[in-house]
Amino acid sequence: MKIAISYPPIVNADGQKAMVSQNRNVQFFKKPTYLLPVVHGQAATWLRDMGFEILWDDGNAQLKLFDTWMEDLVRQQPDVVVFESTTPVMKFYWDVVNQLKKQLPGCIVIMTGYHSMRKPEETLENSDTDIVLRSNHVDFTLAKLIPFIAESNGWRDNCPIEGLMIRRGDKDYYDTGDFKQIEPLDLSPDVDRDLVQWKNYAFENGNFLQTPGTYATSVIRDCMFGKCSFCRYNGPDLTFSMRSVTKSLDEYQRLVEDYKVREIFDDSGVWYRGMEARQFAQGILDRGLHRKDCYFGFNTRFGYMEEDTIALLAKANFRFVLIGLEACDQETLDKLSKGYAVEDVIPNLKMYTKYGLFPHLTIMVGYYWQTREQLQKTVDMVKRIMFQGLARTLQVTLCTPLDFTPYHQECLDQGVLQAKDYNDFDMSRLIVDTPIPHDAYYEAIREMYGIAFHPRFISRQLAFLTRPGTTNWKFLFTYGGRAIRRVRQHVFNLTKHQGAATS
Amino acid sequence: MLLKVLEIRNLSPSAYVLRLDRNGIEFKPGQCANLGLKGSGVNREYSIYSDCGTPWLEFLIKEIPGGLVSKSLRQVAPGQMIEFHGPYGAFVLTHDSSVSIRYTFIGTGTGIAPFHSFALSYPGLQYRLIHGIRDSSEQYDYSDFPRERITSCVSRETGHDFHGRVTHFLSDQDCPAEDRYYLCGNQKMIHEVYDLLRQKGVSGSNIMMEAFF
Repeated sequence: MKIAISYPPIVNADGQKAMVSQNRNVQFFKKPTYLLPVVHGQAATWLRDMGFEILWDDGNAQLKLFDTWMEDLVRQQPDVVVFESTTPVMKFYWDVVNQLKKQLPGCIVIMTGYHSMRKPEETLENSDTDIVLRSNHVDFTLAKLIPFIAESNGWRDNCPIEGLMIRRGDKDYYDTGDFKQIEPLDLSPDVDRDLVQWKNYAFENGNFLQTPGTYATSVIRDCMFGKCSFCRYNGPDLTFSMRSVTKSLDEYQRLVEDYKVREIFDDSGVWYRGMEARQFAQGILDRGLHRKDCYFGFNTRFGYMEEDTIALLAKANFRFVLIGLEACDQETLDKLSKGYAVEDVIPNLKMYTKYGLFPHLTIMVGYYWQTREQLQKTVDMVKRIMFQGLARTLQVTLCTPLDFTPYHQECLDQGVLQAKDYNDFDMSRLIVDTPIPHDAYYEAIREMYGIAFHPRFISRQLAFLTRPGTTNWKFLFTYGGRAIRRVRQHVFNLTKHQGAATS
Repeated sequence: MLLKVLEIRNLSPSAYVLRLDRNGIEFKPGQCANLGLKGSGVNREYSIYSDCGTPWLEFLIKEIPGGLVSKSLRQVAPGQMIEFHGPYGAFVLTHDSSVSIRYTFIGTGTGIAPFHSFALSYPGLQYRLIHGIRDSSEQYDYSDFPRERITSCVSRETGHDFHGRVTHFLSDQDCPAEDRYYLCGNQKMIHEVYDLLRQKGVSGSNIMMEAFF
């Protein structure tokens, strides 16, 4: 059997491309970031190891046009095509599935992703999709499902594998029950870098300070915290699973020594903390990987890392640390169930920067309750942080309810969701009612991104990057150049509706 | 939010119960909260251990070797304030006293905490509790449970209800498919028990899980 793991190129009216991989919120960019879909990469590797023929078909990262991508896929005649989708591109995907099924009616189409897993009937009703995965453990589920399909003619009627909704007939769907929330992640293989053509993802990624970089096979599936109300990794249907430190270290060693990568980022919702974080850093040091000109990075939360751990991580050559700073007023943080205090932010950032790590802040604005005062608190605190050099970079997004997260559900329940069309969930504009005009949020975004061009910030960055005895200066032109380009793209995207918006 | 520490009750060399002034906080049994030392900037999640009808909140905490939060919380004095965020989480019972549902709670170590809260908060709850521990020092507050409802599976000592791990105990047990199963504790136990229950014919829809880090 031939299995295609497929990502069709998605291009909007402005000629911008979107990436849906890695459960990202879809954002369209002229110069997109190509994110390696880690879990789907593990699925591909696992199925290949089981003897199935795999077509790694990422039309975005392979720089294909849509028509070329479709022609190539049809020519390949796959038996199964696996897609990954999310709210703002659901309609696009339904159309793609229907086009594909017209040309390959015998091909089995499997839809994955957090939107369809929570509304599986919707995808079966709106497209010719055959199976919707209700599980986000795509690798584990496909490793059971594909061999079953290969061996069983009656798979639509008697599939015993949980976490699926299968089309039996026109309006006849078979729900195989809830999926197993926790999987022993060590059983899922490391991503085969050659199979997924890793170099396609090694350069255009804002999370890499130096290139070629790559994403590690994630150490945590979902999130060990899992309570933030706007996040996909939250819900009664989810918990978290963790990979062993040793297995992960083995992969890092291979990536550094065999693939010569110069940056490894772990895109787990939240990376290790406490004992595991320290064991991991110590393992990097023990294996001498910190001396191989490779940086390491991860996502974390405020309140998760102690100073001793941060010091050890810095020694092990960790640099890029991505932290969500969703708001700077306690009421909003509490409503989002963030689990930390505003007062924790500065001390945490001071610890990271004290040891030379590069905190990257991801900020959100536009919650349906966010007042002008709350918004201003965020702008003021972000400015203070950046001017004091307590974070190196930032990204601001509009909070967009997606994929039936608790925040999305709350917006529906409160009647504040303006958008009726899934296409409008692309984070390019606010789609909820707010207490102040939308333009105020767009202006706040412009103001926060404007920090990057402020002489005070630039001089602070220069001072940091040219410190004697460090090698950070070499990022000045490469990373700095990329950062400025990205800031411009973000400002364009997030403020193009300014003036047209009300509240 | 800051809450006042009322008491620290040591249960074993490695475990203790932290009691905080509840300050009007509402919660559902089974939920958790983040706790941390005031001003430390670091916190951790702990399941609520107490009855939802008491004027305090309790947390059953295991002191982790090398762990900052679990160690420092044990050293706070009554009257001191600590950071509290929450409560949150969906590991709760869909409890309706008019419907007769039988529950099986399976936990390891301090994974007994949410079940303690369930048992005390819902009088008349039809449940059995299977608790996996290494030795009797982890038999936390067993007197709060009717003796006939609890089975202690002790792996490193004999002379208790069962000598061995919860999976060994469960393998010989009747596990009715219509019962609800709640698993809480370390991930390895949860993997194994889930698979065992499925082999015994329990639907995944009737198995709820809360993994501890």
